[in-house]
Amino acid sequence: MDLRDRLLRHRKDTRLIVGGLALLLLVLAAAFYLLQRGRDLPAVLVANRLLLFVLWYANVVLILTVLFVLLRNLFKLAVERRHRVLGSKFKTKLVASYIGLSLIPVLLLFLLAAELLQGSFDRWFNAPARPVLEQGSAVAQALYRRVEEDSLRAAGRVLAEVAALDLDSPAERTALARRLRALAAEHGVDLLAVYEGTEFVQAVVDPRAGLPDLPEPGRDLLEEAARQGRALRRQAPPGGRGRLLLAAAAEPGERLELTTVVVAGELLEPALAGRAEALMQGEQSFRQLEVQKDDLRASHFLIFLMMTLLILLASSWVGLYLARRVTVPILALAEGTRRISGGELSHRVEVEADDELGVLVSSFNRMTAELEASRALLERRTEELLEARQLAAWNEAARRLAHEIKNPLTPIRLAAERVLRKHRAADPGLGAAIEEGVEVIVREVGTMQAMVDEFSRYARMPRPRPVRVDLGKLVDETLHLYRGVKPGVAVEGAVAPELGEVWLDPEQIKRALINLLDNAVEATAPPGRVELRAAAADGHLEIRVADTGPGIPQESKEKLFLPYYSTKGRGTGLGLAIVHRIVTDHQGTIRVEDNQPQGAVFTIELPLAPSP
Amino acid sequence: MTRGAALVWLLLLLAEGGPEASVSNLQVAVDGERALASLVLRNAFDGALLARLQSGLPTAIVYRFELLRDRKRWFDRGVAENTLEVAAVHDAVTQETTVNYRLDGKLIDSRTVRERPAIERAMTRLERVPVFSLEGLPHGQRLLVRARAELGTRMVLGLVPARVATAWAESRKFRPPAPAP
Repeated sequence: MDLRDRLLRHRKDTRLIVGGLALLLLVLAAAFYLLQRGRDLPAVLVANRLLLFVLWYANVVLILTVLFVLLRNLFKLAVERRHRVLGSKFKTKLVASYIGLSLIPVLLLFLLAAELLQGSFDRWFNAPARPVLEQGSAVAQALYRRVEEDSLRAAGRVLAEVAALDLDSPAERTALARRLRALAAEHGVDLLAVYEGTEFVQAVVDPRAGLPDLPEPGRDLLEEAARQGRALRRQAPPGGRGRLLLAAAAEPGERLELTTVVVAGELLEPALAGRAEALMQGEQSFRQLEVQKDDLRASHFLIFLMMTLLILLASSWVGLYLARRVTVPILALAEGTRRISGGELSHRVEVEADDELGVLVSSFNRMTAELEASRALLERRTEELLEARQLAAWNEAARRLAHEIKNPLTPIRLAAERVLRKHRAADPGLGAAIEEGVEVIVREVGTMQAMVDEFSRYARMPRPRPVRVDLGKLVDETLHLYRGVKPGVAVEGAVAPELGEVWLDPEQIKRALINLLDNAVEATAPPGRVELRAAAADGHLEIRVADTGPGIPQESKEKLFLPYYSTKGRGTGLGLAIVHRIVTDHQGTIRVEDNQPQGAVFTIELPLAPSP
Repeated sequence: MTRGAALVWLLLLLAEGGPEASVSNLQVAVDGERALASLVLRNAFDGALLARLQSGLPTAIVYRFELLRDRKRWFDRGVAENTLEVAAVHDAVTQETTVNYRLDGKLIDSRTVRERPAIERAMTRLERVPVFSLEGLPHGQRLLVRARAELGTRMVLGLVPARVATAWAESRKFRPPAPAP
């Protein structure tokens, strides 16, 4: 996955997280709203609670999200730094600088804002608003209570008069109506009503007060008065004008339905009632705010906290963004350098940057392109050179082969000419000449046959079949062939004991060792020494064949492994070519160097493990 | 501040002032196929609750009831659950407090009270509330009811809202009525 894909994926993840959280918030808000609606609470209250809920949880969720993202960024940075990821130190420094620069002013602002908020809350809920509202409400309540007490007093006096009447008598009922009118005027009440238990008896209403009809005092008022001797109610009169204050008086008796209850009422005019009740409701609203002030303060505090974290997050993000702007091209360049050094010259750094880093990337890509072109040219030249050398080698081989074939041809031609001469001259020695000539021809043809066979074997040499081989045993068997073969020349060998078994074709390697030992023994004049040593070196198997002979001239070293090249002036010239072929087929190398203090040393390097 | 002093301060901050609210005298009476619960909630009417009530905000105490089958050697098995919400709203003008009783969301009673002791009584004393139907329950089973009250939320450390609730109280065990012959 390249950098662009990773960035796109990261963006997609962020969108997913933010979308998920927003959706969760909506679902929670909707669930809460439905729950509250289900409880039949007033719509305004539901809205208030919903608003508080949404604010609270939105704050908490956002704070947790911001905190999570901030900590995640810092954690990733710490992990990168711990794993010594290229560029992580630079990123850490930049992010730490940005956070450090913003942390102190943001914290100061946060503390200042929290202090201001606390102070504001204290001021709002202390002087002068609280006492003004409390006293205003108390005055309004006192006014209502005074009116209620007046009405209660009036009801009590009326009750005293009514007690003496027989309310079952129609005549006295009529008289009661008149008396009530007079008493209402006397006590200044707008309503007087008499009940027996909860049964209506008589009532008068002052139409000038604004009461269009007799209001229903309510069964519970009458029952309470009948039980306790007095009861008070504050009613909204029909039509919603003003406030009707009712006071009921009674003499509590054994039987509720026989108890006489007198209700007196006074209607406060709308303007006065409106102002008084505005004072009461204002104080109540203040109390509501006071009750909810902890929630409000916590919400505001959370908002400040969220803003603080957001600023810190923004700082860290800016730091990371700037660091990425620098480190991404550097990482890409480092990766490019690694690949180029690994031989992948076609690699190009693909980072979009329009600043100095962009120039650096362009220069790097240009340099890489030039390197690639140079390498292609070099490879072409090397190939040509190799072809030329190969051609030259084959020319040399052809020349040597022709020379080798020419050598036996001369004795054959001479023997044939001698026989022909004797035959023409009818020489009596013809028979002996034929016999000698044929012997020469047969011998030389045999030589040619051996030469052709050797060449054929070289050309048709089979691929090696590596198996597990005890190299020590193989070397012992080979060296055994040379014990005492040349007096005065010691042939010795040693295999490192830790080497154990190795993977190689034993027949082919034995043949290579024989060819090398043949040459070494032949080149070493007595007293001399030939050594064969094998050991592991740098993960390879190293076999060295060293002699104390005259050594190999520098000009011959380069051609030594070519077919038909020989410094001995005899033989097929294929011995070292065969060794070279065997070693190459084993994925190994062979080189020849001067032995110290004299002689030559051939070093074969073979892989220890089988090639895949 | 030393570590110990900070711990004490934190504990004091977390600790509630005054005695803890508790449900007591939980009694269950079987009336036909109904289980009627009565209880008293003590120490619930603290300053905060009263202030909220007087502010005119709806103030609710939620009673949670659970009907359990008694098992001697294992945890009691839940049979049914029910919730009674007692919500009071105070009117500053009329000086009346309306107390509504909702059993599982259904309004079952509504009272208007005026004095503070009456309000407290209305919200904290439940008399024979038909919390569960025992219809269909085997006669041989031993049942019990447990209840607790939730008194709203309070802020821990001034920031974190936490629900305030009493411990569970359990009734005496009882048996459903025998089926009619």
